[in-house]
Amino acid sequence: MERVLLKNIENPNSADINEYLKIGGYKSLSKAFALQPKDIIEEIKKSGLRGRGGAGFPTGMKWSFADADPRSPKYLICNADEGEPGTFKDRILLERNPHLLIEGIVISGYALGAQEGFIYLRGEYPHAKDVLSRAIKQAYKNNYLGDNILGKGVRFHITVYQGAGAYICGEETALIESLEGKRGQPRSKPPFPVNVGAWGMPTIVNNVETLSNVPYIIDVGGEVYSRIGSKDCPGPKLYCVSGCVERPGVYELPMGTSLREIIYKHAGGIKGGRGLKAVFPGGISTPVLPGDKIDCPMDFVSMPKFDSMLGSGAVIVMDESVCMVKVALRSLRFFEHESCGKCVPCREGVEWLRKIVERIEYGKGREGDIELLSQVAETISGRTFCPLGDGAACMVLAMIKHFRYEFEEHIKNR
Amino acid sequence: MITITINGKDIILDEPMTILKAADVAGIKIPTLCHHELLEPYGGCRLCVVEVERMPKLQNACTLMAADGMVIRTESEVISKVRQDMLELLLINHPLDCPYCDKAGECELQDLVSKYGPTVGRYREEKRKVPESHEDRVFVRNMERCILCTRCVRMCSDVQGAGAISVVGRGGRSRIEPFSPTSFNCEYCGNCLTVCPVGAILSRPHLHSLRAWQIDREVETICPYCGVGCSFVVQVRDESIKRVIPRFGLGLNNGLLCSRGRFGYEFRECAERLTKPLIRIAPKNSQKSEVRSQKSNPPIPPLLKGGEGGLSEIFREASWTEALDIIAEKLKDIRDKYGGDAVAGIASPRCTNEDNYVFQKFMRIVCQTNNIDSISRLGFAPAERYFEDLLGQGITANTITGLKNSDAILILGGDPIAINPILGLSIRAGARSGAKVAVIGNTKGLAQMIQDKTLQIIPPLFKEAEVLESLLLEIFKVKGLRGERPAMDRMVGKLLEKPLKTEAQGLDELKDVLLKAGSISIIVGMDIVQRVNGHRALFAIAALTYLLEARLYLLSEKPNEQGLIDMGCLPDVLPGGRPLGIGDFRRRFENAWKGIIPEKDGLTLMEIIEMARNKKIKALYIMGENPLFNLPKGSYIKDALRSLDFLVVQDIFLTETAELADVVLPAMSWAEKDGTYTNLERRIQLLRKAVNRASGMEDWRIISEISGRMGYRMDYRSAQDIMEEIARLSPLYRDLSYDEIEKGDCLWPYKGEPLRGVISEIPFVVEGVHEYKGELYLAPEKVLFHSGTISRRSSALRKICPEPILKIGVHHAERLGLKEGDYVSVSTTEGSINVLVSIEETIKDNKVLLSNNFEGRGVLSLLNYSIDPITKAPAIEGMEVTIKRLKLQ
Amino acid sequence: MLSETAIKELEEIKKSYPDPKSALLPALYIAQREFGWLSPEAIESVAKALNLPEAMVRGTSSFYSMFKHKPMGRHLIQLCTNVSCMILGAERLVDFLKNRYALEPNSTTADGRFSLMIMECIGGCDVAPAMLINTDFYGNLTEQRIGEILEKYK
Repeated sequence: MERVLLKNIENPNSADINEYLKIGGYKSLSKAFALQPKDIIEEIKKSGLRGRGGAGFPTGMKWSFADADPRSPKYLICNADEGEPGTFKDRILLERNPHLLIEGIVISGYALGAQEGFIYLRGEYPHAKDVLSRAIKQAYKNNYLGDNILGKGVRFHITVYQGAGAYICGEETALIESLEGKRGQPRSKPPFPVNVGAWGMPTIVNNVETLSNVPYIIDVGGEVYSRIGSKDCPGPKLYCVSGCVERPGVYELPMGTSLREIIYKHAGGIKGGRGLKAVFPGGISTPVLPGDKIDCPMDFVSMPKFDSMLGSGAVIVMDESVCMVKVALRSLRFFEHESCGKCVPCREGVEWLRKIVERIEYGKGREGDIELLSQVAETISGRTFCPLGDGAACMVLAMIKHFRYEFEEHIKNR
Repeated sequence: MITITINGKDIILDEPMTILKAADVAGIKIPTLCHHELLEPYGGCRLCVVEVERMPKLQNACTLMAADGMVIRTESEVISKVRQDMLELLLINHPLDCPYCDKAGECELQDLVSKYGPTVGRYREEKRKVPESHEDRVFVRNMERCILCTRCVRMCSDVQGAGAISVVGRGGRSRIEPFSPTSFNCEYCGNCLTVCPVGAILSRPHLHSLRAWQIDREVETICPYCGVGCSFVVQVRDESIKRVIPRFGLGLNNGLLCSRGRFGYEFRECAERLTKPLIRIAPKNSQKSEVRSQKSNPPIPPLLKGGEGGLSEIFREASWTEALDIIAEKLKDIRDKYGGDAVAGIASPRCTNEDNYVFQKFMRIVCQTNNIDSISRLGFAPAERYFEDLLGQGITANTITGLKNSDAILILGGDPIAINPILGLSIRAGARSGAKVAVIGNTKGLAQMIQDKTLQIIPPLFKEAEVLESLLLEIFKVKGLRGERPAMDRMVGKLLEKPLKTEAQGLDELKDVLLKAGSISIIVGMDIVQRVNGHRALFAIAALTYLLEARLYLLSEKPNEQGLIDMGCLPDVLPGGRPLGIGDFRRRFENAWKGIIPEKDGLTLMEIIEMARNKKIKALYIMGENPLFNLPKGSYIKDALRSLDFLVVQDIFLTETAELADVVLPAMSWAEKDGTYTNLERRIQLLRKAVNRASGMEDWRIISEISGRMGYRMDYRSAQDIMEEIARLSPLYRDLSYDEIEKGDCLWPYKGEPLRGVISEIPFVVEGVHEYKGELYLAPEKVLFHSGTISRRSSALRKICPEPILKIGVHHAERLGLKEGDYVSVSTTEGSINVLVSIEETIKDNKVLLSNNFEGRGVLSLLNYSIDPITKAPAIEGMEVTIKRLKLQ
Repeated sequence: MLSETAIKELEEIKKSYPDPKSALLPALYIAQREFGWLSPEAIESVAKALNLPEAMVRGTSSFYSMFKHKPMGRHLIQLCTNVSCMILGAERLVDFLKNRYALEPNSTTADGRFSLMIMECIGGCDVAPAMLINTDFYGNLTEQRIGEILEKYK
């Protein structure tokens, strides 16, 4: 597959606007301005593009909800708070191809009637912030941002807003709260951000990767785009591979590529030749898969059929030397640390899960702990205010489902 | 119209609402913990989940809006399990404190667990530890019991608007802070305590005193502190008030209170309460009368401990019969020898309508005098009269809840948050929903509301009238005359031929705001009245109200200033606001009362004092007032009181004034008697007796007894009898009864007949333009935690604010080398006192502020006055002050 | 209080948002830069600069883990120990720091040179184990490499 998102990645100056222009950058922007905003939304719908942040919501549908709302001003927010452990694709895009994102944002803003865009960038990406700020300056200088873009009377401004270390702010309503200067606690939905978002106005929140797909869709048209990858979930996808592999890194492949292919063909298989024990297919919030269950197409629609989820597409590979109880503990510590504290099941329940697994890991496990873990996870699952608690609960349930023997061993051999 | 089905029942909703509210409408109770009717829905406790057909997950009833056609189940096995699970999760870190926790018996968590289970917990790990501090003076906070429902935080920031507490940390490490030792702008309103569902926030005065089910009785009544007249419930055991709690849905405050109402009730039970009538034995001008010298932190002296000196050398206890006989005889004597004009009476805005009505009736019919006035002369009464004369009776009758719907709110003459906190909350609510708030002067309580800083206008020192006239001129240039009241139009036109003008930053913006706003409210504090050209400011306000069609509010520190006016406790007004000078009105009352009312208008308060000094007034009857402390130039007041032949003081404490009396009578206080108050909205409300007091008598009963002894029988058996008479005679209170008042919403104009406007040409005297070129001036202020002189007797309020504080601006503090917490001596030509200093950023002109609440250290004792010829209020501005830092030993 | 330049910077930042409250996180970063950490004085100065209640500023700042809520050393080591980094040996690096520099997580060396903050996935999984020192990113860490890198920071 010809690379779209990581087109110029080997060029050490790929972030510079001149390099971007050399490979045809900002051409889609001109093309977009010749279209009507409604037509652009149609193209996005036709393309079948789904949000790349992890939820996989059809982008065209989200845009048409916003378009239907007559109120203004509308805001476009780029969610660059990439926090799912194992995920680094947005960092790569921001550091190596910021202009692709900028172009995507401006086109999207034009289509949605928004004139202000905010990039909510996580605080842990200082280098990306520098690169992005420089790129934005360049874009302003070359009239790809400002009050009269390309002399076509289109107005769009981008502000980079730096987060300060809160995974929960990757959830769109928590992100909006944080952007408004508050604690990043999620809001009730409905109303949805497309109707009542930042400062009460219609707001579209899209992931970095999602917006980076937009110029290509304008370039080749939604129809052509929809033919890449899976039928129900098309387009190029950036898969992040990390852990016990030969070649960890980000791979741009068609949506629906099999997990096995990603691990063995592209990432070079298990480092050191050991056996594959387990894989998180899309970050630690997705149900873990045992080593023999990796023949699944990695897209939003197929993965649930294989007892897991695509999530952010962050493949974390664990070999035989990795202790699953330890991984479960570390994951729970993560969820506990990042829980915002708003709702009872997540705030109290996740800490409880962590305490049990901690005991098990440190040789103080008790009879009945595994049943208790399942029960508490069931208590949390589906009852939380937002998906963070769900992530923790289903991580535990999947661990027990596939690696129960490890937990039992820990408890027996105290 | 929205039709939904809940638990098989079809409900029609006539307005959009959440499923939780809809269920309530249908009479179905859904359990909640983090939800509260005064707060925005939160959705954190997960208890209110319901099943909605065609929606995959369980939904939050508190946040999900009911949509047409929804089919909802609020009870099912799954839902029960969820509730049980959530409660179990809440209990895993909750301490097992029930046997020891004050909240038991009224704890929402306890109630829910006992209803929904679980009975056994599965948690076998360590409970969370939370950093703790128990140093707060009034709140006891126990974070281990906190379930992080965040009701307290949301109440403080979204409703109270103080923003004093917040959730700190994240996830399971979250906790609510701070409660101590620092507290950021905590206003001690206790509204956080009211909404806390568990025992995480408790009140120190009430701690470990009794269980919620151990009270003898609960009585709904009205707060004795300020002119808002909040409703709350008093809980009594063994004839002692154990606690005051608000109640949602009760009263105009709807469950919100302020520090005074919430914690200030202890004054009633103070050991220093008068119990027996006292008769003077020491001569008035002797040294022995000087009990209270200016001590720096005077303890309240013990009363009549035999042989210990002090008060037992001045007074002797007497029986009621003896005391009342003496009073009746003396008053009769003086009246007959010198005429009614030699007698005067000072009524009380802390007493009920019934008390005040009987008082003025007694003064007029029995003592044959119209020399009746009250401390209201310092502001409320003349201001209201002035406004009513120009704009019609009832112009200040506007609702506090309606205030928040204004587009623009202009405030001057006092800090609403300090004087009438619940009214201040309405302003904050208005600001939150977009109203523009503008202040002429400074208010600390609203400082955060002034986002757009240019909407605070600092007038040149004491020159509000100038600022107002400049503003009026600008408004007039755009709006012209209104045409509705020709007399007003004429007077406005005349004034604007020669207006006082001044430059002040922000005046232009204020003008723009007012011209753009649809509905405007103007809130007037009494500082404006106490100015040398105070009436000019009043006229300008009236003119602005007129031209802008604004709503007018008068701030009132006392609970019944309006009632006192309605009852005719004024030298020239009869009950119902009817002028004494009009023969028809006078005759109507004479017929009803079967007596003669003197024809001539009487003297106002300061005139009474002056006439007392000149020995023209020989007898003074003071009911529930402390003029020696509450009026400026204390030395002059003392001379005046000492010059009287006969002084009677009827009060609940032996006040500074009472010490100079010939006879002191112990009265019953708030909560010990029935009666009515009329608040600043002109709403009549019912006070109920909550405790039986063994000593003292109702103020109205005391007067009746004396009246009877002077040959005029007043056979009232109860306060209700008096109201019946008022309802018969006062054209304003016609057809009122306690039953009517109890139904609630007894708002102006009640069922009565307002006086149709008598507009007189009120001349304004152009005084010389005063310039205040001195370095620093002293001005009074009213503070949040104290009110009048009863709050100093509440130990809780004293803990919050133990002593008077001089507020000084940053510039002058630097100049004088003062730091926060220094002690200083404050001196004027009238005297000197030592107080604590606090640096206040909102003070930007050449003045320092001090309150008038603490014994021996009240600001009024340092101020002189002159009388405004129109309002007869004392103007107390212009005292230069010297501040010196004191070195502590 | 915040310096003149900081106040000016804040005024510019406020212009990018319809509600000045959105300048809170940027203001906290600025205050952290000027005061070294978010001390009570720093919180107060932010509250004053933005006319927000102090309690609210404190509550919001305490939500975010990248704000320093206590004084820290000159150089902040932000080391990730989440799953990908843990699998590839991050915990050994934590031990290394403890043994070589007497540096425990969430504390500072005695000489005030380094502080250690354990991070939750800094997006360096492709070069795990990874860390940030101040704003400099380092990946493919080993005990030896970490030692070399830390030498550069005085």
